Amino acid sequence: MTRREKILDYLASHGTGVGNAVTTSQVAERLSIFRSNVSKELNLLVRKGIVNKQAGRPVRYWMNTNEKNKDSDLEVKHPKETFSHPVERDFSTTTPKIVAFDEMIGNHDSLRNQVEQAKAALLYPPRGLNTLIIGPTGSGKTYFANTMYRFAIKSEVLLKKKFITFNCADYAHNPQLLMSHLFGYVKGAFTGANEDKDGLIQQADGGMLFLDEVHRLPPEGQEMIFYFMDHGIYSRLGETAKVHQADVRLVCATTENPESSLLQTFVRRIPIIIQLPTFEQRTAREKIKLLEQLLTLEANRIQRDICLNEDVVQALIGSVTYGNVGQLKSNVQLVCAQGFLNNMQNENEIRLKFDQLPPNVKDGLSHLANDRHELSEITRLLETKMIIKPSAQKEYIESDSYELPYNLYEIIGDKAALLKDEGLDKGAINNFIMTDINLHLKSFYSKRKLNAAEDRLNEIVDQEVIKLTKKIQKFLVEEEAYPARDNFIYAMSLHISSFVKRVQSGKPLRQISSDLISMVHDYPAELEVAQKVKVIIEESYQFPIPESEVYYMAILLVSLKSEPKAGMVGIVVAAHGKSTASSMVQVVTQLLSVENITSYDMPLEMSPKIAFDGIAEEVRKINQGNGVLLLVDMGSLSTFSSKLTEKTQVEVRTIDMVTTAMILEAARKTALIDSDLTTVYRELREFAGYSRAAERVEIKKQPSSEKNSKKEKVIVAVCSTGVGTARKIKELLDEILIDNLIDDIKVLPVSVVQMKQEMKKIKKNQRIVATTGIINPDISAPFIPLKQLLQDGGKSLIELIENMDQSQGQKIEFEYSDSITEEMAQKYLEQYFTFLNPKKITNVLWKYCDFVDRRVQMKLTNTFRISLIMHLAGAIERVLMGSKMTVSTQEISNIQKTPIYKVIIKANEMLQEILDIKLGENETYYVVQLFNTELKK
Amino acid sequence: MEIRLLRIDSRLLHGQVTTNWAKVTKVNRILVVSDSVAQDRIRLTLLVQASPPGIKVNVVTIEKMIRIYHDIRFNGIKVMILVEEPVDAKRLIEGGIKVDSVNIGAISFDKTKVMVSDAVAVNTNDISAFGWIHNKGIKLDVRKVSGDNSKDLWHSLLEKKLV
Repeated sequence: MTRREKILDYLASHGTGVGNAVTTSQVAERLSIFRSNVSKELNLLVRKGIVNKQAGRPVRYWMNTNEKNKDSDLEVKHPKETFSHPVERDFSTTTPKIVAFDEMIGNHDSLRNQVEQAKAALLYPPRGLNTLIIGPTGSGKTYFANTMYRFAIKSEVLLKKKFITFNCADYAHNPQLLMSHLFGYVKGAFTGANEDKDGLIQQADGGMLFLDEVHRLPPEGQEMIFYFMDHGIYSRLGETAKVHQADVRLVCATTENPESSLLQTFVRRIPIIIQLPTFEQRTAREKIKLLEQLLTLEANRIQRDICLNEDVVQALIGSVTYGNVGQLKSNVQLVCAQGFLNNMQNENEIRLKFDQLPPNVKDGLSHLANDRHELSEITRLLETKMIIKPSAQKEYIESDSYELPYNLYEIIGDKAALLKDEGLDKGAINNFIMTDINLHLKSFYSKRKLNAAEDRLNEIVDQEVIKLTKKIQKFLVEEEAYPARDNFIYAMSLHISSFVKRVQSGKPLRQISSDLISMVHDYPAELEVAQKVKVIIEESYQFPIPESEVYYMAILLVSLKSEPKAGMVGIVVAAHGKSTASSMVQVVTQLLSVENITSYDMPLEMSPKIAFDGIAEEVRKINQGNGVLLLVDMGSLSTFSSKLTEKTQVEVRTIDMVTTAMILEAARKTALIDSDLTTVYRELREFAGYSRAAERVEIKKQPSSEKNSKKEKVIVAVCSTGVGTARKIKELLDEILIDNLIDDIKVLPVSVVQMKQEMKKIKKNQRIVATTGIINPDISAPFIPLKQLLQDGGKSLIELIENMDQSQGQKIEFEYSDSITEEMAQKYLEQYFTFLNPKKITNVLWKYCDFVDRRVQMKLTNTFRISLIMHLAGAIERVLMGSKMTVSTQEISNIQKTPIYKVIIKANEMLQEILDIKLGENETYYVVQLFNTELKK
Repeated sequence: MEIRLLRIDSRLLHGQVTTNWAKVTKVNRILVVSDSVAQDRIRLTLLVQASPPGIKVNVVTIEKMIRIYHDIRFNGIKVMILVEEPVDAKRLIEGGIKVDSVNIGAISFDKTKVMVSDAVAVNTNDISAFGWIHNKGIKLDVRKVSGDNSKDLWHSLLEKKLV
């Protein structure tokens, strides 16, 4: 017997009519069910019309005679007092009025265009337009799609009331399964396909199909979907002809950046692209409204008022870092669950108090306080106290991934009752349950990858440093009552890391300027704390920390505490590639939550003039009156400084190195109070990375004087004795050098015993380019540990040497930067071909690549595309010239069996249609072989 | 170091053509010898990534090529050399690199050049370099892939009355 049935039974035994009414407490005592659960069940039954209730305290309930047998029917009896558990979305019968976009928060404001777009897409004659919704995690894509559906129902543009949702990520690892779900299959299409089956497309016929995370759709699926979009017909798995027809409104959604290559095809093929704003981009009013709405959902669930003060509202709004509305929803759920627990005895309302909030939500207040404008805007709109009552309106709760898969309040109630039975006191019960709630939250967090930032930090800073920093944080919070929160970990660990690095590399320590000293003396408290922190670091590293570091640390503490907004040095990161700069800046912004940084992406084809103007614009935007630091990835840009200053009237300094570590360091340095452009610039020039791994990339060319470059280059291998193992290492290194055709670097084994003296001697006559071996000799040249040398077969060593020889150390990463475009291919064609017009041919060949790309198993890398285009251009020119490539018939018949052959033949046919040039069997052979060779890699 | 093929091709290492030659000559190393590519990171990256599977590609300057050719430490390597221009081939041979024939794949056309065959264009610099190589008794073998019939470039030049 369920709880509900027990209660119903009890009520029935008391008979009907007001005279037989009972109170919640009576039921609870009699049936030994926890009181709040009884209350909840009773309220539920009241809303269903099975039970009546009498107003006044205590509330009394009695059985409604007429409605006794009406049970699981969830039809709403009293629309004014409705129930808001997740309901089946069957809009055909229940709701008299369908709520669509009118109820969407921000529909006249930050979602105005989006709503207009959506309406237009749905109403566009004759059958509407397919739509792609783009928005970051938690921005409400599913909600928006649901609302579109409701609007479509309301406007009567759908033939049938069907809304089918499919998440492409669910089966992304198994394309076949995914396709069979989507398109259906015929009997015998694969093992286990015992009968014909319709796919979701067929099910959605006449209705709407929502494809979430559509970028995870495998290429073959994309192709079929596009075909279906264009023609309305498709084939099931195992069918050769596209014979099935379906009339489906497609709404797709993705978190991908529309610029990303994954989405290119979608963006091209889907006519309506709706970009949802982040929570950040919403107006202050909308933020509050959203919060109210989410709180109302919770209030409905627990059927109590929720009271919260201004500071809690601010903290909740500020607690949204990048999970958007979804994150807000989770945080609201957590906070309400906690409030519910703390106010379990209070029947009428739960109070959310600031000092009871979990730390990550508390941090929200300081996050919000960082943006004075936003804070004042929100504060202006707030009353000192907010009271949320269970809503009188019907709410649609979307079953999205932010919804907990169970009723948390019920669990809390049951658990509390259970623990109480065990004889635990209130404090212990609360402790137990809070642990539970936190566990739920944690699973949400790890699922949503909210820890990504810390993981990234792990890549940059040694684990030990992070550990040490956490220790310091604990010390500060617990013993000094210093507000060290998440950003402290990042800032402090980076600081320690770079300081330790400096000490270890033997670089001179920072000079303390008299300004700094006098400034720190304004903050005696921080200076004192810094002294204590210094002791902790010394204990950990076993070497003395110079006094100058204490001053820096004190400044860091002051900065972390106050986080001043005005007068910071701005940073502009400009790098080649479509998203190189922006993605690095995103990482840094996420890690340090700084706002004085912006990025400028420069696709390779961008002209310097446009780049210059674009950068100037960014410089202007980010400037806060204290100058701007420009980080660029190629030397040519470093000449921009003076021109930029001239154009923008902003002082600009340029550093021609862009790495994530460098940007982090820049952001960190500029975030310190009172940092000025000149100092930051000077310090950054000496910056050598946080860890050894980063060091490799960041080796700057030594200022090689004439004398220096004439010296013989050597690699010093440190071994325990200088013989034996030493010889082994030397052999190994020699082999690596020879394998890479490096003939001008000598390997010198050195015993660890006389290391210091030996090094001095070597430095006199030779130039040490790198060191390796069992210990780090701590000289200015980079060190590669023996272990690494063995693991990567000398790869890191060679990279290091090659980077040293190159004046610009950046390796070109085609595949990541995605900066290779048709233009690049065109440039190469121009250089090497005589008779072809590259302008005209490039596009055709690019299409050829696309064509093949969609039909083969392998992914065509950009490098391979260029290679293929070059080859094809050659082939076309040979055909035009009547010059034949030699292939034996045997060789041709060999490749005809390979799967790629058919695709190439098809592609050649397409080429023939466009250019009226036919590539013969011989040329086909070489194209196919090109693919086969690539496949072998 | 054993030079199994010295090839002139404006496109240096490209596609299946290079793979074909590498297979036929059974080399374990392709050396792109070009002063300009050694300076150009984009081309360098493209070339190295376009290398056939199992064969390492290095890009070296002409000066370094000559240096390592004479260095006994590199004796075990079987090499295919790719150069862009006849002049580069000449400089290598001048530097002591021993071959009995130079393979010519394609030399791209520009306004200073005339076409001698369907894939080879030459200007006066090229002609004099070829002349110099020819006078050393080295064969000038025009073939795109190894299966093509060999054509003697010197003949073509004579026919066109360019020499």
